[in-house]
Amino acid sequence: MKFDINYTFDALPRLLEGASVTLQVALLGFLFSVTLGTTIVLIRNILNWRILNGIIAIYVSFIRGTPIMIQIFLIYYVLPVTGLNLGAFTAGILAITLNSAAFVSEILRGGLASVAKGQFEAAKSLGISGFAFWGKIILPQTFIVSIPPLVNEFTQVLKATALLSIITVVELLRVSQQIYSANYHPVEVLLGTFLIYFALCFAVSRSASLLEAHWQIKRG
Amino acid sequence: MSIDFSIFIEYLPFLLVGFWLTIKIVAGALLLGLPFGLVLALGRKSNFFIPRFAATSFIEIFRNTPFIIQVFLFYYVLPFYGIRFPAEYVGTVALAAFGSAYFAEVIRGGIDAVPKGQLESAKAIGMSDWQAMQNIILPQTLPIILPPLTNQTLSLLKESAILSTITVQELTMSGIRVQGETFRPFEVFIMVAILYWALNETIATFMRWLEKRANRERGSNLHATRLKKAKRLETLT
Repeated sequence: MKFDINYTFDALPRLLEGASVTLQVALLGFLFSVTLGTTIVLIRNILNWRILNGIIAIYVSFIRGTPIMIQIFLIYYVLPVTGLNLGAFTAGILAITLNSAAFVSEILRGGLASVAKGQFEAAKSLGISGFAFWGKIILPQTFIVSIPPLVNEFTQVLKATALLSIITVVELLRVSQQIYSANYHPVEVLLGTFLIYFALCFAVSRSASLLEAHWQIKRG
Repeated sequence: MSIDFSIFIEYLPFLLVGFWLTIKIVAGALLLGLPFGLVLALGRKSNFFIPRFAATSFIEIFRNTPFIIQVFLFYYVLPFYGIRFPAEYVGTVALAAFGSAYFAEVIRGGIDAVPKGQLESAKAIGMSDWQAMQNIILPQTLPIILPPLTNQTLSLLKESAILSTITVQELTMSGIRVQGETFRPFEVFIMVAILYWALNETIATFMRWLEKRANRERGSNLHATRLKKAKRLETLT
């Protein structure tokens, strides 16, 4: 068998369709995970209940200590047993969200720690509290500090979506598997897939400095 | 849903066999990946274009693509050229290649963190680039890079689960097989998860302890020098 680049070109239109699904899953999952991650950080800081903090700590440790593949299996296979029958797509997004939220909450915790103490004190002495305190003063600064690790986490999410092919979500990798199981040219097809993933992740990771520059100007 | 505890006892030995292979694969990937990561890091810091370009592209390509596709490419490309290895070896090499890209970035960060004056003074007393790197810079990077290297090792442990997709009989694959026999996904995958989690926490705790000890020693030295300085100041005033 000889390497024939034409198989890559032939597969390209379908691969790009798959790539759009990959992007959708990654964006949705990341959006939910940032929401959940922020909620976790707020629960930790506003409520600060010992039991709740303990549960969060165990959740974060579990997510960070086990392979995401096992987490995907747990959600995909176990939820139907409990009677909750989600499709592969929803289960996949749920798995990505639950996984990424743990990492996002740790990133935001680090970001929060780097917000100057004076900001908290100044806001409090001005009598700002509740929503305005967190939503307008502390969280924006936390997010701006956290841009580089958050962008990095998004590339992690993008790469993790490839694992959803195992639970039959028809994203980029699954599409390429469908193509090469029909034409028996895995090397050419996978090369195309590989390059698309690389282009996506590389573009995202390079955008970190752009985003940072953008927000820096707005602040100044 | 009721939990069937008998599965835990019945299938644990089978899973432990897979777990042992997981540990061996990760150890093998570390053994191959760390030296190669060092080579890549030095290549990236090189003054010459070709090694710098080669190392940078390798690192960027492996860091910016999903590991599962790298595994598939290794698994399909090698037989394409007539090279046939058992899946475990292909998996270990793939994991080592993936890991080395991350190790290289960690090592590079460590080299950058060593103050510039160290390299300059090493050169001033007549050391070559290579001698300075070997005797002055690299030993100083070690305490800096140990915590991130631990993190990367733990992430290799987690990524090794993906090798189950190319039929390597490691922990995850064993779990999938037990699930296929028993149809009890919760018990099986929780058991697998706990095994990974336990190893992960054990390594992390041990390395934290090691780090704390190293810091304490360095800290006490720092304390001693500060005391000396304070005494000298006292005599001056």
